Amino acid sequence: MHWHWMIIIYLFLGGLGAGAYLTSFAAEKGWLGRNSSLRRTGYFIAAPIVAIGTVLLVFDLGQGLTKPWLLIGLLANLSSVMTWGVYILAAFIIVGLLKGYFTLTNKSAPNILTLSGAVLALATGTYTGLLLAVIKAVPFWATWIMPVLFVASALSTGLSLTALLAPLVEKKSFCEGREGRAHILLIVVELIIVAAFVGIMISGVNGPVAKESVALVISGVYALVFWGYFIGLGLLFPLVVYIYRYQRSKVPVIQYVSESPSATSDLAANEQKGHHSYLTIVSDISVIIGGFALRALVILAAIPVWDGITIL
Amino acid sequence: MEFSKPIKISRRHVLKMGVMGSAALSLGIFRSQLVKSKTGSAAGSVAAQKTEQIGFMYDQQKCVACRVCQAACKATNNWEEGTEWRRVLTSDKSKAYLSISCNHCEKPACVEVCPVGAYTKREKDGIVIHDAEKCIGCKYCMYACPYHAPQFSDDTGRISKCHFCYERQDNGEDPACVANCPTNALTYGKLAELREAQGGVDQLEGLPNPELTKPSWVIIPKKE
Repeated sequence: MHWHWMIIIYLFLGGLGAGAYLTSFAAEKGWLGRNSSLRRTGYFIAAPIVAIGTVLLVFDLGQGLTKPWLLIGLLANLSSVMTWGVYILAAFIIVGLLKGYFTLTNKSAPNILTLSGAVLALATGTYTGLLLAVIKAVPFWATWIMPVLFVASALSTGLSLTALLAPLVEKKSFCEGREGRAHILLIVVELIIVAAFVGIMISGVNGPVAKESVALVISGVYALVFWGYFIGLGLLFPLVVYIYRYQRSKVPVIQYVSESPSATSDLAANEQKGHHSYLTIVSDISVIIGGFALRALVILAAIPVWDGITIL
Repeated sequence: MEFSKPIKISRRHVLKMGVMGSAALSLGIFRSQLVKSKTGSAAGSVAAQKTEQIGFMYDQQKCVACRVCQAACKATNNWEEGTEWRRVLTSDKSKAYLSISCNHCEKPACVEVCPVGAYTKREKDGIVIHDAEKCIGCKYCMYACPYHAPQFSDDTGRISKCHFCYERQDNGEDPACVANCPTNALTYGKLAELREAQGGVDQLEGLPNPELTKPSWVIIPKKE
């Protein structure tokens, strides 16, 4: 209606950057397996991605470019979720850049910096959904599931982009860790959240206009984007690929029963040292496209509770 | 040597960013406090009155859709290109009309969501005023307002909307729309008194649930 591609890209990049940071954070904490190759790349790309999104948003403002001094006012209204976002994003970009600098120079960053970056990343992802969820006059947005869905998608797309770029950053030393399992978990969780979201909208608890919006998405003009790009390309196809690859990586378990599962999968993954399989590359890109499609659907299918014209 | 140098720079960077960040923050907060204290003292000088919310009353039975209210508003307030502060809507089914602008809500969504605080709700009469000089044109309020009161102009890249002719009211005049309505279909007054009108409602079928923003308007619906 009033918001178009710039906002869609902004929301998408906000989630993507936040997810990339959290991916490397998880890798650094060892949650993605021993010696994960994802522990640096996400830190490099997180802040720049969010910063690019923020700059795009400024371009979309009616007076953002012509009267840039007005932008300082963005810090003014503490009851506005958009103002919260300005604080959160500004803090995340600064902390993210610092963490990226520490990582680049191989210095150990203070724990408090790394941790606050993770908290701010989570806040960034949540904010992109909360911005919409508080708008009660758009029933399709007005649900607490919105920020949850956006965070899930942020993690999923952030992981995919980090995994996609890590071989370029780490060069020869790259090897796949446990991220396949994280991929599967995130996609399954996201599918459940999407089902809940669509269910809520169809059920009518958010009113007839929410039903209209969801109808546009699942059976109307955006059905191809929803079923094709978001559900198909963004969730189901990568899910099948990751499960397939996970199954294959488990095969050596039979031969090395005595070893721990993560050690064996690391061993199996060594075949892939230095680069990804093309299938993984395609499915990582596919996840990212799906994440973008989600933001586009949510913005484009927004119908106001009243059109401002029709009276009975 | 080579090791210690980058650390120094990074600390300096941290400090610089910190100073710049807090300067920006304090500027922002200080500015908003200034504005608040200004309105605060203005309200204080009127002997700390309680808000006496005013609102529009619209009688569907009297309206003939002459659109003089629109024209008067446009002429008085110099609508920016592409904006309509007041609209007169027509029902296809019942041939009823609705003249609608801003409802100066009790819980105005625009005031809550505007990131730059361009909207203020006047202390003394609850008029919601938008300061176009502060507006950055993010259009967040256009989504938040269920009545489509905030209007965006591509010409100026900013929002503007009905301010109940607060300057005219402060000079003892009626709002332009009300002053020019030939049938007295559109009137205004203290909301508490308007609410006592016979058959008055705050929602028509198909219009937003008043619980969303608690609009300060009273409609007298057309009888079947």
